[in-house]
Amino acid sequence: MKKMKEKQKKRLKWNTKCVLCLMPSFLGTLAFFVAPFMRVIYYSLIDNQFRRNFVGLDNYIDTLGNRYFLLALKNSLLLIVICVPIVVILALAVSLVLSYGIRWVRKTRAAFVLPLVIPTAGIALIWHGVFAADTSVLPVYLLFIWKNTGICVVLLTAAFTSVDPSLFEAARLDGAGAFTLHKKITVPMVMPTVFFVSLLTIVNSFKIFKEIYLYYGTNYPPDHSYTLQYYMNNNFLKLDYQSLAASAVLTSILIFGIVMAGMALQRRYRQ
Amino acid sequence: MKKLIGIIFALLSAVFLLPVAATVFRSFYSEGGFTLGGYKDLFFDCFVFYPMFWNSVLYALAITLAQIPVVILCAFGFTWAKFRGKGLIFVFYIILMMMPLQVTILPNYIGLRDMGLINTPWGIILPMIFSPFGVVVMHQYMKNTDASVIEAARLETDSVFRVILVGVVPQLRVCIFAVALFVFAECWNMVEQPMLFLSDGRLKTMSVFISEAGSYTGAVLFPAAVVFLIPVLLLYLFFSDSLEKGLALGELS
Repeated sequence: MKKMKEKQKKRLKWNTKCVLCLMPSFLGTLAFFVAPFMRVIYYSLIDNQFRRNFVGLDNYIDTLGNRYFLLALKNSLLLIVICVPIVVILALAVSLVLSYGIRWVRKTRAAFVLPLVIPTAGIALIWHGVFAADTSVLPVYLLFIWKNTGICVVLLTAAFTSVDPSLFEAARLDGAGAFTLHKKITVPMVMPTVFFVSLLTIVNSFKIFKEIYLYYGTNYPPDHSYTLQYYMNNNFLKLDYQSLAASAVLTSILIFGIVMAGMALQRRYRQ
Repeated sequence: MKKLIGIIFALLSAVFLLPVAATVFRSFYSEGGFTLGGYKDLFFDCFVFYPMFWNSVLYALAITLAQIPVVILCAFGFTWAKFRGKGLIFVFYIILMMMPLQVTILPNYIGLRDMGLINTPWGIILPMIFSPFGVVVMHQYMKNTDASVIEAARLETDSVFRVILVGVVPQLRVCIFAVALFVFAECWNMVEQPMLFLSDGRLKTMSVFISEAGSYTGAVLFPAAVVFLIPVLLLYLFFSDSLEKGLALGELS
């Protein structure tokens, strides 16, 4: 009896220690992200930092009616609709060949993964040189595709190669052809990763800012490249914290919604 | 068919490498010929370059070295501690990871301003130490480590740190390298934070130098970009295998 109690005590202590391990990260996140974010929500509900009158949702209504916010929102969504399918399909094709193709072809993988880590601040310059005469949105899209295909290739290749080869053997013995093999085995096994990769690319599309910023080298790019991040960045520079706070909260809600919808869809697909 | 795929892939990978190759090529090319003039201008005549380069090295190293222990401890806690709401907090980390910088930069700025850290190196270093990416990847990886090793280590010692050092770290080597490389590359490539949080020119980084390099004398722009690429390229050459394995296993499971 006594021994058991002691053991329980020790286990409790172990659990406390494990919880303590979380603390450095929790405290840092609290100090630099959570607590300040509460302040941002507060800022989005007052008229300005000096008078501090509570104005309800006025800042949000202003933001949602702002021409530039709507333009930025449209451009950000357009980037998703056009580029995400391209990235995912390209990555699928590349990783299919990398997983099942000829051996020397596999060595080219590094070329697709490199843009993932290469510091884009150094690369945006050459974009400037090459596309100097181009006034369309194409360079921005290319930059996005170039940078984000790599991570999808890594994840998809891992998914393809983790399909158990003995499954193929068994099915082949049962007389299945190559097409049926892939349709019945590879596709269902890889589908969740395809889904995850699409979600990841959508999220990453909100993260491409400094590349576009360095490419244009100005706070006011052509209309077609003016994204949500520009809107927020410029409000930051103008010290218009109320508009920035409102648009930051709106953007977080948008991303939160996308991630949650994605996860819910995935759960449904699995059932 | 095989040949065709081979050719397509050779071309495709060349296209993906082209921006890097072109940047290197362009740094040796100016006014119609091959020249080392740009590098000469950068290394000998551009006095602001060295401090900015070393600032970049200092910030990126400090953040990476400080973040790894925080990440390992936190991932360990997420894997082994039992308490209510743990799952919810982890989901919060995932969502925080997905937020673009422009959403978190105002909270960041406000927090730093209240602590009086604006325009100090700490303003750049501290928030980045707690970026959630490493925790998420490392936790996913740690879930699949061999628990019996940890149980065995617990019999030997009472200290959590010993258990982590002996039971966890050796199993996580690949993932730690991957996260370290990724974090280093992220920090090396920071543009917004040094631009917005630092006003003192002596504290600024190489990425800011490049975004402003047009205003310096000589053709230092592309040579500077090449020097900027080299550290990450070297790290990538040495660790690309663990980068891919670490990221793949970390995010999949």
